[in-house]
Amino acid sequence: MSEDVTISRKLKKAAQLLLFQHHRLPGAKGWELRKVLGKDYMKIIKLLERRLEELGLEIKIVYEDGLDHQTPTDEDLEQARFYVICKSPLQIGEASLSGWRIDTLAVLAAALAYITSKQGRATRREVEDLLREKFPDWKIDQDLNRFIRRGYLDEDEEGNLYIGWRTRAEIDRKTLVSIIAGSSPQPQQP
Amino acid sequence: MPQWKLLDELLMDAEALKELSLMVKLQSDWVKRRASGLFIDPFLVEVKIKLLGKEELASALLAAWRPLIAAEQLTPKRLSEALEYWRVLLPLSQRMKELEAAQFPEEKTLSVSELIKLKFLSERAFNEEVRKLQEELAEASKGGPLDYWKFVIRDTYEETLLRAYALSFIISNGHADLIINPVEETIMIEMSGKQMQKKGGKSVPISINYEKWMAMRNPKDRTEGIKNE
Repeated sequence: MSEDVTISRKLKKAAQLLLFQHHRLPGAKGWELRKVLGKDYMKIIKLLERRLEELGLEIKIVYEDGLDHQTPTDEDLEQARFYVICKSPLQIGEASLSGWRIDTLAVLAAALAYITSKQGRATRREVEDLLREKFPDWKIDQDLNRFIRRGYLDEDEEGNLYIGWRTRAEIDRKTLVSIIAGSSPQPQQP
Repeated sequence: MPQWKLLDELLMDAEALKELSLMVKLQSDWVKRRASGLFIDPFLVEVKIKLLGKEELASALLAAWRPLIAAEQLTPKRLSEALEYWRVLLPLSQRMKELEAAQFPEEKTLSVSELIKLKFLSERAFNEEVRKLQEELAEASKGGPLDYWKFVIRDTYEETLLRAYALSFIISNGHADLIINPVEETIMIEMSGKQMQKKGGKSVPISINYEKWMAMRNPKDRTEGIKNE
């Protein structure tokens, strides 16, 4: 089998692993990719990333400790989870198409920014108290439960909220917090 | 024996070294987290969130949001597993018989904290109920102690139980006191001046069931109900 054919086969396999959900969570772990694609799996991932770029997609690596690694070790990569995400942020019109209301987006933005500023953990009560200034109780409860189900937030038995796996994959928290902290509120329309 | 002493010292040194290395690791994690740019004053973020409108918050999220792409799929393996499951699945009527035959778990009483944990009861809603009842009691007991049953009994059994339960919390928290007259067999309730948690107080069981509630709904029967306590 020529090298080109081998690479092409591995590219297809890598795309399947990353795009089709095999477990409870989408994407694949580094060690799974290495097992299927071989020890040079990162080269295949880089090639796949180039192909996905044409479609407006990219591969996101989420490390186990939740931090950015500029020069990750083999161990870091093997324990990390690889996802395919959109390369560019969504526009307001696109967001409404995915079934999310502006209100819900605002609740998620506020909850994530607040929890991030508290080093990734805040009590549910604290988050609810903050949101209550803008949203009714029923909506806060409904939305927080929805975010927990979808993986944007995690909740432990003691009522603490954490950043969920989906947030780590989809949301650039540094950008979110910077925008919110650096923004100046628009004057209210009379 | 001097050698044993040396060994002990070595063990202590090793332990100290281990603790020191752990401290260095924790410091390293702390520095990494700060350097990752995610460190920001929580108070500033809280203030900004309060000041921003819904649209501005939503826009901030959209600017930072890049949705994940994934497809759920059925594989030939899963399809064959499903086929096998369907093949061995018993008819519903037979399964129902098995379910009926199965022993039901023993009944148990759930506490408020367990109900809250199961999300069956909202802690906030319950606290609100307690607060309202406390205000009602403060208003009603301005003229002096009140009859416990007169305060608790309401038109529905459920409401009566809820009031009795919430009132027990008010009493336990030290916001109200019970005055029990064993001679006249009456129970009165009054607001307590202090707002402190009672320590070392005694507990007073007051039982209520449906028959007693039915009897006490009629004020004429209330006195008899108390006498029969």
